[in-house]
Amino acid sequence: MTTVAHPPRIDLGAKTAAPSQKGSQFVKWITSTDHKTIGYMYLITSFSWFLIGGILALFLRAELTRPGLQFWSNEQYNQIFTMHGTIMLLLFATPLFVGFTNVIMPLQIGAADVAFPRLNMMSYWLYLFGGIMAFAGFLSPGGAASFGWTAYAPLASSQFSPGIGGDLWVMGLALSGLGTILSGVNFITTIFTMRAPGMTMFRMSIFCWNALLTSILVLLAFPPLAAAFLGLESDRLFGSHIFDPANGGAMLWQHLFWFFGHPEVYILAIPFFGIASEILPVFSRKPIFGYKGLIAATIAISALSVSVWAHHMFASGQVLLPFFSFMTFLIGVPTGVKFFNWIGTMWRGSVTFETPMLWVLGFLITFLFGGLTGIILASPPLDFAVSASYFVVAHFHYVLFGTVVFTMFGGFYFWWPKMTGRMLNERLGKIHFWMTFFGFHLTFLIQHWLGIKGFPRRYADYLPTDGFTFMNEVSTVGAALLAASMIPFMINIWITRKSPMVGVDDPWGYGASLEWATSCPPPRHNFTSMPRIRSERPAFDLHHPHIKTEGH
Amino acid sequence: MKASYRLFIGLALFYFILAVIYWLVGGEAVGMSALGLSGGLAALVGFYLWFSAKRIGGVLPEDRIEGEIADGAGELGFYSPHSWWPLPVALSACAAGLGLIVGWWLTFIAIGALLTSILGFVLEYEKPTSSAHH
Repeated sequence: MTTVAHPPRIDLGAKTAAPSQKGSQFVKWITSTDHKTIGYMYLITSFSWFLIGGILALFLRAELTRPGLQFWSNEQYNQIFTMHGTIMLLLFATPLFVGFTNVIMPLQIGAADVAFPRLNMMSYWLYLFGGIMAFAGFLSPGGAASFGWTAYAPLASSQFSPGIGGDLWVMGLALSGLGTILSGVNFITTIFTMRAPGMTMFRMSIFCWNALLTSILVLLAFPPLAAAFLGLESDRLFGSHIFDPANGGAMLWQHLFWFFGHPEVYILAIPFFGIASEILPVFSRKPIFGYKGLIAATIAISALSVSVWAHHMFASGQVLLPFFSFMTFLIGVPTGVKFFNWIGTMWRGSVTFETPMLWVLGFLITFLFGGLTGIILASPPLDFAVSASYFVVAHFHYVLFGTVVFTMFGGFYFWWPKMTGRMLNERLGKIHFWMTFFGFHLTFLIQHWLGIKGFPRRYADYLPTDGFTFMNEVSTVGAALLAASMIPFMINIWITRKSPMVGVDDPWGYGASLEWATSCPPPRHNFTSMPRIRSERPAFDLHHPHIKTEGH
Repeated sequence: MKASYRLFIGLALFYFILAVIYWLVGGEAVGMSALGLSGGLAALVGFYLWFSAKRIGGVLPEDRIEGEIADGAGELGFYSPHSWWPLPVALSACAAGLGLIVGWWLTFIAIGALLTSILGFVLEYEKPTSSAHH
């Protein structure tokens, strides 16, 4: 960071006198170096991509409801599922991690900002412009990329996927990936160098630990992806032969892609496990059960996640089945430890069911299903039977939707007062939850059976005699309910936009980590005063001094 | 600092060992390179953190079990209050990438804009007086 002898002074008097016009507010946001503002921009942008990706998903479900092609051509269908996957993974879920970490992590470690505030803003712009670039393929004559979000070689080559839609996709994602890498660097540096005195590594909240480990995974996973993307683009533009199947390029792509792709799944999961680990103790009125065990489990999951990439390639017949199968089963152990800790946190606690808690319970149930089918898929003989079928689609929607979306809404309801100073409506929040919960399970549970009966993923059509019609109809009805569940959330944001400010530091009453020891919303550099930090629950110790937390 | 470098050195060891195991059980070249390089990356960060910890010496306030908030008092460093520069840096970087697809002319313009905006970004808070040699 640049240091100067005489930092420029901000004249507070002049600032308050300035008129608060929409234009000046806009300039304030786009030139911001405040981690919270940048975090809000990340959250708003990634949520917008979530809605766009969701609409694409409805397009897919509409087509699949009945046999025959009603809405789209095969090529259009390919473009839609490619962009649905791309948007949901790389433009929604990954930046959502960056958004939550930006807003919450510096508050939880007692820092004034992130280590590199301007770099933080640059990451955001790279993400925004990169995302728009990847999506802009829809405006090109040939349409958007249509080779699936995995872009397998040689399908993604200029020979089989001509048109600039594919090029825009590759370059856009490479740029947005650069933004993600820079965020990872920023977060690791912040956590290592900017913790408040007394906030030792083993007093940090679970969310911060998970953000740290996710950032490390970003550093391990995104550079191989960038290398693969630039290689692919060089093949497409300059005719190089990096991913030419004649010299083993097809397998090279799969290895490089999944060396990114599997850690990516954990980049999406681990920060959201962190959100769940923040919410559970607050609404169980107990400290997190097995704090160090939970951290050890997360470290184990992160370390192992880099060693299982080829379980996505079992069906290629060219990978070491025993090695990758064993490593994959091994990941089930620390994941089980996490479940044990989460349940242990609730065990004998005074559990109450406010909206954030409901979302976390929804996450626990949904993710458990996804984890169980994951064990099934980790076994090569079972995987061969259902590979590339709707069973796999159901599995990863259980894992990713279960983790990312459920805990995202949990985090929104939980930290909404911290971010805006206002509570969201509980009744609407509960309606929102139950609609999402039933909508989701109605859509995806039946897809397991659809896959076992043999419906392959990425097909736009099937025959009436296949016997897939009824199950597809059920799934589409579920998708409609799931989409409608966003309406109560929007209404909720709208009707509470002018509700009274909470006026206290900790509106939930049992907040544990340091963000609950500052005002709602926090001031520009986060804290006007900070409590002494003696455990992993500094805010709880401050507000409930008569109950002693077991210190570390 | 201890926990930080131990974490990275532990990861480095894990990936190196894993690369060897993968090689012994008959893994292919891409995976071995990727695992080995992952170990290298973790070792690089771990070494830097260990080296910095040695250089700083002692225990930092944030690593002290009995650390008081007042221990961190003093100047925290300089924080940019707001900045226009991240926007042009990212915009011209994206334009340079887009130029590869729509035409080299855009890349050439964008690289010029990128270098200019990087200079602006880096030198935003540099003052001629503070960097002058004496």
